[in-house]
Amino acid sequence: MPTRTFRSLLIGACLAATWVHAQQNVPVNGPHDRAEVPVAFIHATVHVSPEKTLTDATVLIQGSRILEVGKRVRVPAGAVVHDLTGLHLWPGLIDPFSNLGLPDRSPAGYERPAGARYWNRAIAASTAAAALYSPEEKRTQALRAQGITTVLAHRMDGIARGTGCLVSLAGRTPSEDILLPEASAHFSFSKGTSPDRYPSSLMGSIALLRQAFYDARWYTAGGKQEQRDADLEALSHLQDLPLVFDAGSAQNVLRAAQVGKEFGLKFILRSNGDAYLRLADILATGSPLIIPLKLPEAYDVEDPFDALEVSLGQLKEWELAPTDPARIAEAGGVFAFTTHGLEDPADLWPALRRMVRCGLDSATALAALTTVPATLFHATDLVGTLEAGKQADLVITSKHLFDADNVIHETWAAGRRQVHQPRIADDPRGLFDLNLRTAILKLRVKGPPGKPEAEVRRPEGDTAWTKAVLSIQGPVVSLWFEGAALGFAGPVRLNGVVHDQGTIWDGQAQGPSGEWFAWSAIRQRGSNGGKQQEKKAHAALDSIWSLPTGQVWYPMNAYGTTQFPDTETVVFRNATVWTNGEQGLMRNADVCIHQGRIAAVGQQLNTAALFPKSKVKVAEIDATGLHLTSGIIDEHSHIGIDRGVNEGTQAVTAEVRIGDVINPDDINLHNALAGGVTVVQQLHGSANPIGGQSSLIKLRWGRNAEEMKIDGAPGFIKFALGENVKQSNWNRHDRYPQTRMGVEQVFYDAFHRARDYAARQAHYAGLKPKDKEATMPPRRDLELEALAEILTGARHITCHSYVQSEILMLLHVADSMGFQVNTFTHVLEGYKVAQELARHGCHASTFSDWWAYKAEVMDAIPYNAAIMHEKGVNVCLNSDDAEMGRRLNQEAAKTVKYGGVAPEEAWKMVTLNPAKALHLDHRMGSVEAGKDADLVLWSSNPLDIRAKALMTFVDGVRYYDRRRELDQQTLAAAERARLIARMLAAKRAGAAVRRAQRQEPGQWHCETLGEQP
Amino acid sequence: MRTAHFLLCAGLAATLAAQRPTPAPPQTGSILITGGTVHTGTGKTYDEGAVGFRNGTIDFVGYAYAVKTGYDTVIEARGMQVYPGFILPDATLGLGEIDAVRATLDEEEPGDFGPEVRSAAAYKADSRIIPTVRSNGVLLAQVTPRGNLISGTSSIMQLDAWNNNDAVVKADEGIHLNWPGAFRHTGWWAEPGSTEKEQEERRSRTLGQVRTFFERARAYAASDPNMVDLRLEAMRDLFTGRKTLYIHANAAREIQEAVLFAREMGVRRLVLVGGHDAWRVAPLLRDKQVDVILQRLHSLPQREDEDPDLPYRLPALLKEAGLRFCLGYSGDMERMGSRNLPFLAGTASAYGLSAPDALRAITLDAAAILGVDQRYGSLEPGKSATLFISSGDALDMRTNHLVHAFIDGRHLVPGSQQEQLWKQYVSRPAK
Repeated sequence: MPTRTFRSLLIGACLAATWVHAQQNVPVNGPHDRAEVPVAFIHATVHVSPEKTLTDATVLIQGSRILEVGKRVRVPAGAVVHDLTGLHLWPGLIDPFSNLGLPDRSPAGYERPAGARYWNRAIAASTAAAALYSPEEKRTQALRAQGITTVLAHRMDGIARGTGCLVSLAGRTPSEDILLPEASAHFSFSKGTSPDRYPSSLMGSIALLRQAFYDARWYTAGGKQEQRDADLEALSHLQDLPLVFDAGSAQNVLRAAQVGKEFGLKFILRSNGDAYLRLADILATGSPLIIPLKLPEAYDVEDPFDALEVSLGQLKEWELAPTDPARIAEAGGVFAFTTHGLEDPADLWPALRRMVRCGLDSATALAALTTVPATLFHATDLVGTLEAGKQADLVITSKHLFDADNVIHETWAAGRRQVHQPRIADDPRGLFDLNLRTAILKLRVKGPPGKPEAEVRRPEGDTAWTKAVLSIQGPVVSLWFEGAALGFAGPVRLNGVVHDQGTIWDGQAQGPSGEWFAWSAIRQRGSNGGKQQEKKAHAALDSIWSLPTGQVWYPMNAYGTTQFPDTETVVFRNATVWTNGEQGLMRNADVCIHQGRIAAVGQQLNTAALFPKSKVKVAEIDATGLHLTSGIIDEHSHIGIDRGVNEGTQAVTAEVRIGDVINPDDINLHNALAGGVTVVQQLHGSANPIGGQSSLIKLRWGRNAEEMKIDGAPGFIKFALGENVKQSNWNRHDRYPQTRMGVEQVFYDAFHRARDYAARQAHYAGLKPKDKEATMPPRRDLELEALAEILTGARHITCHSYVQSEILMLLHVADSMGFQVNTFTHVLEGYKVAQELARHGCHASTFSDWWAYKAEVMDAIPYNAAIMHEKGVNVCLNSDDAEMGRRLNQEAAKTVKYGGVAPEEAWKMVTLNPAKALHLDHRMGSVEAGKDADLVLWSSNPLDIRAKALMTFVDGVRYYDRRRELDQQTLAAAERARLIARMLAAKRAGAAVRRAQRQEPGQWHCETLGEQP
Repeated sequence: MRTAHFLLCAGLAATLAAQRPTPAPPQTGSILITGGTVHTGTGKTYDEGAVGFRNGTIDFVGYAYAVKTGYDTVIEARGMQVYPGFILPDATLGLGEIDAVRATLDEEEPGDFGPEVRSAAAYKADSRIIPTVRSNGVLLAQVTPRGNLISGTSSIMQLDAWNNNDAVVKADEGIHLNWPGAFRHTGWWAEPGSTEKEQEERRSRTLGQVRTFFERARAYAASDPNMVDLRLEAMRDLFTGRKTLYIHANAAREIQEAVLFAREMGVRRLVLVGGHDAWRVAPLLRDKQVDVILQRLHSLPQREDEDPDLPYRLPALLKEAGLRFCLGYSGDMERMGSRNLPFLAGTASAYGLSAPDALRAITLDAAAILGVDQRYGSLEPGKSATLFISSGDALDMRTNHLVHAFIDGRHLVPGSQQEQLWKQYVSRPAK
């Protein structure tokens, strides 16, 4: 492996007796600079590693390496000696997530890399940071000034980003500064500057990456005989490197880990610093994290109207984000820090100090800046601690690194010195008495120590300061000022020498008329005036940061919870029960639930008899006058989805999965629960004829994405017809199909390909083991695989549709290709072809009364559901809309008005019928013994405009309770008040604040494009 | 080709026109509706009541037994409900037909200040959408241009007319100002929008423009200029009280700013539209005598942490705060959706508002806020006979079923193209 070879070369170099100062193979103009003068740092407090500190110790370096570290190091003759009495010496810090030297490409100037590459430019796995790295002087300086001497740099562009290189910030040539040319490989969910349209959504990015990994396997297994591809080549071999995934939010961190799991890859996950939101889940992945040293700013909440726009989630985030590293550490997680995302790397210190104030152990913090990244990227023999043989990467500071008034004086990277702030003895700043021949003036030196500014005035009274020009070159000082205001006839110019650790300056001066005289300046006091105040402010803020914080809520909004409710054993007494079963509407009935299932339905249930063997305690709910139904099932919903519902960039995207991008924290899930909804089909949008795979979830509010999925639910996929797929109402008109004629052919093309694919796979699977060995396995194609599942009946279609012609067209395609169209959704002209739908056994899922929003819905009528129902179609009513989704009971009621559907049949359209359409009716959709305890208790007939959901149970767990909601609101209000008080205090103590911004989350609809609603 | 296309369209239009109910002729004989529950809209209800009207004007409202005079036609409404025609404020009915087809839309002009733009000029009385809205009891609407800061001039229309002139109940009665959002969220996670400072600067520039415009309008209104400035001319009556200023704003801070501004400018009649936070600034609104046209109740909470029911509870909150309000339906898909206006009132009655008050919020109070309560909004002698009979509770979707409807005493022809399609396809022979 090239990496290993390179490293052993380096180690070899360390052990060699002669140190090489410069690149070995470069001709030198003149005599060679051969002497490697050792440098000794003595009397320092040496922080060898996060665990080990030596006082009054010595560090000896030579060239780019550390020679020796200890309390009894002999300083060789001929060494340059730095006395660091009172100062601290630290290992250079490492930033493992940087794009230093690899600036982003501009999308405008994007050029396709030459050569044989992956078809999609977001898969840029052949990118090699080491081959592209070009030093960036200014950014390097800024990082060095904060003690960072090594970065792991990669090009932050694309989904597969290629390799990263470990770079020393010594400022030599790339050949010398690149310590490990292939230190890591990098991935993300963002396609970056790739001009390819695909992918345009998060689920598309995930699908593309997944397919690329499968393609890489195929490539290695023999695909390379068929086609050449530098990216697949790279993708197959870089999987042995430490893999970094630029994930971001807690949800994305989990998603990245999930993708990794599929391919047996463990990523190092770059988080947003919000892992605390789902800490247990994230730690369970076992992945190390990279956390930004960036904390959310406080909001200005002084005006209560402004404060209305700050959500509880934002308030809590502000308070909890600094506790993130401490929580991870406490729970045994591993993390490194990065300065990525900071406008000024110097901002890392206030953030870090706040994290320490919030309980992060200093040693852990230091490790996250040194040894952890060194370990993660297999560079412990190079960097991370102050030990013999390692890079001479040192940081000299005045105090402990994390102290508020610490000053970073110097960094040494690979033995190369850089002074950031002169050490105290050299600090010229302060107030001096300036003795000139004829007068004693006051001299004040201020400003940054490296760039001091001077001014003089008469000693007495409040005479104004006169600006002077000061320049200090080593021990030589030059100073001149216009003397008119100070009793001189003109300019006075001084030259002198600094002595006695800067307390005395003296030398010769020349007056306005050319006369020479001696001068001296005696320091009266150093410049600490400003610092006192700063220190006070720090103390005030620190005390605020140290206060105990609130708990993490799941999810982090007013309706989040700290404690998940359990399944209940409950009997509802004396309710009007809409069984949706043979018993129809039962009055004065009892329903008992136990262990997440409906245990019994009947009149005057004897609960003791229900559980004869065990002593189950059954709680009673008096439901007299109330109605009990099964939970509402929304067959067509886009709630709880992150970053895009459409991957409409290609006509066929059967490979994308909504299940990859569930957002369990979406407040709309809670709103839906409050409207009696227990199950939703999260559908891909309708931007293309064959969209993505659906996800079927139960609204287990507070749980994570995986826990919301319905176990054993059949696979579904979204198809679409009509105006959306032919891009009638969009700006672009260039993707095939543009007509309903083209749509038909897209289906034929897809299913012919899928049929051949299935045959190829079946043929290979059926080979004898011996023949199998000799045959190259067919490439796994996730798109065709999903389509092939439709052909076998393992995956069901939900097809967005409007006009009768397109409905009949798809039925024809299905008949001729041998598959079934499970559900036509929207199907607003379903009433025109109801008998055809019924004959084909298609389910229909429609709106109660939508129309007139597109040309193709001008014949839509609210009687659609009634007509289709009458003609024998299984009819569902769906929302496609977060708002309507929470009052589907009212939508069902509309079918009573429009077309006179019987109330019980109307009710089934939002419960049992969608359960049938989703092939879940054996478990859900009716109130019958043995079914899932997904129940809603209503204040009255659920079709009544005045009906309210009082309780919503999912699997016997009460995820919504109208009365409990009030307590929750009180709790949230108190939490909010506490946080506002704290934020006000922080502002008063000097914390920066930003103005409130309304966070109005957009709502997804079928035709929403892009990653933002 | 073009001609053929045109002919095809014309042919199609003719067919469709045939499917639209013909506007009703003026009332000739007197009519008495008797035996039903009469909801007057004022809060008073008569079980077994009666409403009599002649020449388009109501001359009797009360208990059926108290009817003294004879009527040419008697409509037996026993077991049914009688309501004043519902009134839809802040709507774009007739200004657009198909959301996705630009050619069918006449809602919005470009530019920031367009008070001169009049909805009455473009109102499509024969819109296919209108009969479907009417069929649920909505008989009057305020037709309002949409757009930027000042979107234009609205008029009150009755929903059974031959043409736009015929439809006008009250022409050019109000100017609509969309108050600049105070907490606009721009950009998103991957592409941050303009900075806070830029946004604030832009907003304060915009507010400055609004102020300048109003100051000029006020000065213009006070003078007798020798040339006509269309924009300022349209603004003139805001300062005499003949026109109402409808300010669209939702957040507390925006409402506060907008109301204080309008009063400072000397605007006489002021109505707040939207008003999600109106209950939070109720004392100010009471003090400044500002009525509210509430945002569509069937919406999601505007802030993540709000009570999921808050949108539904807004009417009760306003009632409790002593404000006068009516219910609007503006927003996404507002034209076709506005037939659900009665159900917004139904929802309000489920969340703390009494049933008579809920009804008032789409009848009498709506009429008062829109300035047409002299003639419309309630069943009272002397008022227009604009009313309908529903076989059941019209605020509940199951029972809202319109049997007869009258506008100014004209007996409307029932139905819509949708009902025709229903009847047509329900009897499609099996094959």
